Amino acid sequence: MNGAPSRTLTKTSRVRARTLALIAVGGLAVSAASAHAQNAAVEPPPLVAAPAATGDSVDTAYDPLQGFNRGSYGFSMGLDRAVLRPVAHGYMAVTPSPLRRRVSAVVYNLGEPSTTVNDILQGKPKRAGRSSARFLINSTIGVLGIWDVATGMGLKAHDADFGQTFGRYGVRPGPYLYVPVIGPSNFRDGVGRVLDFFTDPVGIVGGGYTTTFGATRLGVQTVDTRARADTAFRALDDATDPYVTARSAYGQYREAFIREATGQVQALPDFDAVPADGAAVSGGAEPASAPPETAPAPSEQSQ
Amino acid sequence: MTDARPTRRFAQLALVALIGLGALSQARPALAQAARDPQAEQFVQTRAQRVITVLADKNQSIAQKKATFHQAIDQLADVPKITNFVLGKYARTVTPDQRQRFAAAFRVYAESVYQNRISDYHGEVLKVTGSTVRKPGDVIVNTTISGGQIGQPLPVAWRVLGGGTSWKVVDIQFKGVWLAITQQQDFVSTIDNAGGNIDVLISQLQRDAQRPASR
Repeated sequence: MNGAPSRTLTKTSRVRARTLALIAVGGLAVSAASAHAQNAAVEPPPLVAAPAATGDSVDTAYDPLQGFNRGSYGFSMGLDRAVLRPVAHGYMAVTPSPLRRRVSAVVYNLGEPSTTVNDILQGKPKRAGRSSARFLINSTIGVLGIWDVATGMGLKAHDADFGQTFGRYGVRPGPYLYVPVIGPSNFRDGVGRVLDFFTDPVGIVGGGYTTTFGATRLGVQTVDTRARADTAFRALDDATDPYVTARSAYGQYREAFIREATGQVQALPDFDAVPADGAAVSGGAEPASAPPETAPAPSEQSQ
Repeated sequence: MTDARPTRRFAQLALVALIGLGALSQARPALAQAARDPQAEQFVQTRAQRVITVLADKNQSIAQKKATFHQAIDQLADVPKITNFVLGKYARTVTPDQRQRFAAAFRVYAESVYQNRISDYHGEVLKVTGSTVRKPGDVIVNTTISGGQIGQPLPVAWRVLGGGTSWKVVDIQFKGVWLAITQQQDFVSTIDNAGGNIDVLISQLQRDAQRPASR
């Protein structure tokens, strides 16, 4: 009676285990191929670093579809003002931020397997190990991801998606694209997002957006994302050209995210070289250059 | 039934291996350390912390904070250099009169905007985590800001120019986004769209600065 079903069960779980092992081995193989690159830049510092590589500010401004994009931007911001912002602000009004952080943590935890998939595709077994260990630990000890206990164990979070995976193998962002409702993107990251959707292990197991779980996850994720982006939206209100500000910020954010995977160094503009002529660094009506503050007392202490 | 055991054992092994892998990955090898600049770090630690402390001070009124922020900015940031930078290509064609009016408008605008921005995050404690010398006198200082309502420490990078004990911030980076670079693209686009007329930007800044501080 019990024999047949239990055997099928073990069989599926064995298949699943084998698939997992295969994926792991696959990841290792890929990483072996790029061992050199790995050694050259293990875990690049998250922020910025030293001298010039190839500039990315040019790419962020590559916007041949600006006409469409500006229209799409205007439409989406109108929709945000009418629907999403009131919902997000209502959510923020009725929940204390510690509670919202727990919601964010659950949403984030469900994205962890997708991160692992991309870590593997990028040939980064350590990162894959970290994100999958985080998922296991936080889903169990951390109670469905409510508590991020893994960070406390030294397993710090990182993100990965298909756009980053493409970028890691040298794919350029291509034209900027403001996708109606969804927001800023570009050709590379747009394709990446579609792939993210179809390869998301949690989405596959949970049955897409048609199931109760899937729909709930999408709804919560949308409100959570909008609430967390609220300061960014407010920053746009202050801009003189909000469309360009959003484009610039998105481009810089994505390129920084991709540099995390490539270990490349950001090229930065030269603050001293903006005016073409004249030796004076920042001439004009302003008191030229930096009047070096008469040396601050060396006794100044940090807190 | 009998062949359930090896599977379970495999699963257990896999779990242990995964956690082990995770543990291994935190023992990161020392980074090939680019040169740090302790004096630039010290500058950011002291001056940036001061600004954050002012803005987080619950005992000060908004007007008081505004006044203190106004002062602290001159000690922290190279305002003339930033003013020039955010004009981008138009820094070459701006007339002295326009430059003067722009500088005044930008100053007021930037103070109100950045005060809002920094206050939005309610940070309290700044900690320097390292720095990278891009070239002598051009250093990026990495910090985290925590406390207040911040859940996890927020990484913020400061680009400082100078030397010795004399430094000034020219740009701030958060989530990969540099403020002055973004500001430059914003302003240049606004001037572009006005057919190159810088006065349009100036009057827009003057309008924006008059809006209420907290929304």
